[in-house]
Amino acid sequence: MNVDIRGVTRRFGRNLAVAGVDLETGPGVFGLLGPNGAGKTTLLRMMATVITPSAGTLRLLGRDPGSYGPRREIRCRLGYLPQNIGYYPGFTVAEFVEYFALLKEMPPARIPAAVTAAVERVDLGGKARAKLRTLSGGMLRRAGIAQAIVNDPELLLLDEPTAGLDPEQRVAFRALLRGLGEQATVVVSTHLVEDVGTACSEVALMDAGKIVFHGTPAELTARGEGTRAAGDAPLERGYGAVLAEARS
Amino acid sequence: MTPAVVSLRPGRAPARRMASLAAAGRLLRLELKRNVVPYVLPLLAAVFYFDTFRTADGYPPVWTVRASVIGDHILFEFCAFAGGMAAWAGSRERRRKALDLVASTPRAVWARLSVTLAGTLGWLLLAFLAGVAAIYIPTALQATWGGPPLWPVFAGAAGVIVVTIIGFACGVFFPGRFTAPLVAIGLLVLYQAGFREALGVTASPGTAALLSPASAVPSVDAGVYHHVAPDVPITQVMFMGGIAVALLGVLALAAALRQRAPARGRIALRGWPARGDNWLLRTVAVVLVAAGVAASWTAYSLAGTAKLTAAGWEIPALHDAARDRPVPFVPDCRSAPGGFQVCVHPAFSGYLGDVAAALDPVAAEIAGLPGAPVRAEQVASVGTWPHGYGPSHTAGNPPVLEYSGEEVGDLFGVFWGIPAGAGPDWRAGFQQGLLDPFLTEPPHSAAAARTGPTPLGAAQQAVEDAVMVMAAAGSPPPLRIGQHGHSGGPSQAQITAAASRFASLPGSARHAWLAAHLAALRAGTITAAQIP
Repeated sequence: MNVDIRGVTRRFGRNLAVAGVDLETGPGVFGLLGPNGAGKTTLLRMMATVITPSAGTLRLLGRDPGSYGPRREIRCRLGYLPQNIGYYPGFTVAEFVEYFALLKEMPPARIPAAVTAAVERVDLGGKARAKLRTLSGGMLRRAGIAQAIVNDPELLLLDEPTAGLDPEQRVAFRALLRGLGEQATVVVSTHLVEDVGTACSEVALMDAGKIVFHGTPAELTARGEGTRAAGDAPLERGYGAVLAEARS
Repeated sequence: MTPAVVSLRPGRAPARRMASLAAAGRLLRLELKRNVVPYVLPLLAAVFYFDTFRTADGYPPVWTVRASVIGDHILFEFCAFAGGMAAWAGSRERRRKALDLVASTPRAVWARLSVTLAGTLGWLLLAFLAGVAAIYIPTALQATWGGPPLWPVFAGAAGVIVVTIIGFACGVFFPGRFTAPLVAIGLLVLYQAGFREALGVTASPGTAALLSPASAVPSVDAGVYHHVAPDVPITQVMFMGGIAVALLGVLALAAALRQRAPARGRIALRGWPARGDNWLLRTVAVVLVAAGVAASWTAYSLAGTAKLTAAGWEIPALHDAARDRPVPFVPDCRSAPGGFQVCVHPAFSGYLGDVAAALDPVAAEIAGLPGAPVRAEQVASVGTWPHGYGPSHTAGNPPVLEYSGEEVGDLFGVFWGIPAGAGPDWRAGFQQGLLDPFLTEPPHSAAAARTGPTPLGAAQQAVEDAVMVMAAAGSPPPLRIGQHGHSGGPSQAQITAAASRFASLPGSARHAWLAAHLAALRAGTITAAQIP
């Protein structure tokens, strides 16, 4: 299992953001669904080794991120796109991706080709020399995805990756996700259920810091059949039904 | 999938090190390329030109004097810019909300921020050295003696480094958009406080202000007759270097302490200072802090032992007695047709013609008379007179007029920012320096030589004025209020009238009258009315 989470809890003062989550997943695209404030971003940040759990155990890529050496190894094999991507406006797209390739300690000789490939994969080849301050929100998001995938990560964590992307780019991005998921574990946090339905092989639904559903998109769709849950698509109705059940 | 990461197997250590160095080099290239400092360089260059460059340009081309602007002006400008820019760079990750992103990477936070600091410091040091070059290159073209002093450059560079690290540390620990301007203002105030203390530094109550790289403007011939001891710059470099090293240690130690403080696995890794560093970092950090504090404290203690000598401040523990010997030199001299010889220190060779042009006509008027100087030579401004530099005087047998570099500088060139010729007193004052002792002191008076000029009586003043007018000094010399015309004495009009009468005499008649009445004139027994 590339992600093995057992009883993980995370508190911020009195606020319990993640409450005893258990989760296991291997290669493939894993969708993390849930309403705003469900704890998706906090869980993803713990998986990105940015914050540590208040309780519980977390093993990523077979290693314990609580220790220095294993954590460093995890980070070398990790790709992460935060919900709010911070960027340096004076950097060009290529420089931004190169900067993170260097921070990820990729072999310097491999970086130029890896940067070019990552930028091309998010369809920003024509903007490689454009400064980040000149890009639109969607392009910035794609630049963020490029830095996340530049090191061909074994564990890729994407927090709201399709926010700000136009429909054409979203379709292309889902194809990219499916390609990445063939070899790596890709965890996508989103509140857009259509992303999950088309790209994910497995999905978990979080609410109030807990996982209230874990299964395939088809199983989530099935949970909505025969209910009066709101939603325009079958998957949305399944999403609504699970949430309603969890809150009842 | 094969991950594109560096192998962590133990047998590959040298290769890893090389890869790490190459990666650090590329990171530094990126930081240099996209650093914020180049954006403010035009503004810094403008401030440098209007303050530092113009000030230095107004100083005589004497290396030590020109180099004094490094501590007094360049650092003053750099402390605000360097501190502010470094704070801006240090707070970048938090300001740009990039902490999550960078914290998820394996590169240790100290390594990451070190590269950012190095990029910022690289630009600032480059700008500083460019500023030094802009001062030193014109000086090299104009100076006729000596060479560029390097200790002010070292002390200045240490100042730039320490304010940069202070600013960077403030940016890291207190990130925010107002950090940079607040740091810039704070450092400016700190520099001003240090400058103010340095201006008034005396042996009592303490000499700690010598640690400030700012200083009072030196005399114009500083480093010309005596070596400028590097004692004070050495303590400044030690003090500021110690602060810089200790701050680097604090930055590294902060990471290590955060790593150790809470229970394992229960601390926030986010941002700076994040965990992820091993015991070696903690050890190095502690060593850096200890070494930095020790160096600064040692420098502080050394500064407290400083003594003021003729050649400047000395610190006994650092002082090289061999440097106390006067600097040997061969003066540049020129002889007038009448035999009067004018000599200047080779550092002032550029002024020889002007000095001779001022003194030769006056010397010709009194040539051959008892006590008339046969030569004029430049002596040190500092250490020659009991109370610092003083007026010119005549001493020795045959009499020699001794004048200081201050007087040379007062006469010629753009000096202290005032263009030559702006004041009518300058040339006249220099000539009066020759005539005053001649008209008031008995010949070969060694005692009078060191006591400064005697106030002129009315008759002496009238004769001096006449000689100066006839020496084609230009306009009549200005009235020196208070030096003559005591209560009940002759009015200025009477003196002027006497001077006019005397000046209208043929040169040979004036000379003959002076030869006959010089002793009485010096004794003050001749009145203005008795002057022919």
